[in-house]
Amino acid sequence: MATAAELEPWEVFRQEKDGDPMRHGGSVMAPDAELATHYARELFGRRQESVRLWVVRRRDIVDLADLDLLQPPLDRSYKKPGGYLMRDKLAAAREISGESKPKARSSREARSR
Amino acid sequence: MTVAALPAVALGELLRSMADDEFVIGFSDSEWTGIAPLLEEDVAMSSLAQDELGHAAALYGLLGKLVAANPDALAYDRQPGEYRHCRLLDHGRGDWAMTIARRYLYDSADAVRLEALAGGTWEPLADLVGKLIREERYHRMHAGAWLERLARDGGEARARLLLALRELQHDAATVFTPLPEEAALVGAGILAMPMAELERRWRATIGPVFAELDLPMPPATRQIERGRLDHGEAFRWLWGEFTAVRRSEPGATW
Repeated sequence: MATAAELEPWEVFRQEKDGDPMRHGGSVMAPDAELATHYARELFGRRQESVRLWVVRRRDIVDLADLDLLQPPLDRSYKKPGGYLMRDKLAAAREISGESKPKARSSREARSR
Repeated sequence: MTVAALPAVALGELLRSMADDEFVIGFSDSEWTGIAPLLEEDVAMSSLAQDELGHAAALYGLLGKLVAANPDALAYDRQPGEYRHCRLLDHGRGDWAMTIARRYLYDSADAVRLEALAGGTWEPLADLVGKLIREERYHRMHAGAWLERLARDGGEARARLLLALRELQHDAATVFTPLPEEAALVGAGILAMPMAELERRWRATIGPVFAELDLPMPPATRQIERGRLDHGEAFRWLWGEFTAVRRSEPGATW
């Protein structure tokens, strides 16, 4: 049966009002789902700040924090909706051709043309 | 029902007994703040205690209108012998098992009492009771969860629970102490049935739970008619605590 030694963390997600996304609220320590739900209710709902809670045993959560998978070292900017980041490539090309970066035209010049 | 037609004496007794019950159990449970078995339970029990004080405030408010008195004065300015909470709540805080046993017995009895008032003919009370029922549902879930855990533990937890139930057994049913002139409440449709009948309902409700957990059912109450009188030393001490600030400066505005 539950003793203090068998307490484990449960993660609590809360919805503030109908239609809102579930947001992580924090965690509680409890020996089982029933008491975890009671404690979640007291810590994240007793002031009427939630309309729904999700209470998840932390060890049931699939955890992925591998930086090789999440932050690969090579450039991934081509996977972004904006496509390649051109600034650095342009700077490198100018370096090779010896051209300087064109200055921004003043507004007077722009109008005179 | 018009105010003139109200059975005012009996209604006053009913409101006072309910308010005092909630007030006293709220203060007893608030004694766990800071020393409950774990942090989460500390928050939970303190919050439950606050709920009960909130219920007491609402009930003293109704009583205050009925007898033209200030709710704070009703709560704090009486002598210990003038309180009408049931003797079940007169045993001091005790250990955690005692607190859970008392909570379970009280919450299960209170639920039966509230059900008998929910459809009552006096709207202010019936309205309030509808709200109390919604809040007390959680209290019962909490007490039930703990009762089950202590009972099934089999070790020191179960031993302490059995000791607590034994200490409380003769006062367990005192929530259902017959009220002075309660027949008038039943006659007016404010209370669905007499307290003795409510006690039978309560026993039918908790019977299966006690059987399942192999716990002894409380015996019939000796001198049930005195179930809200004869408050002892434990209550005098609690009264001294909860009136200490109020008595330190009578009439002060906080």
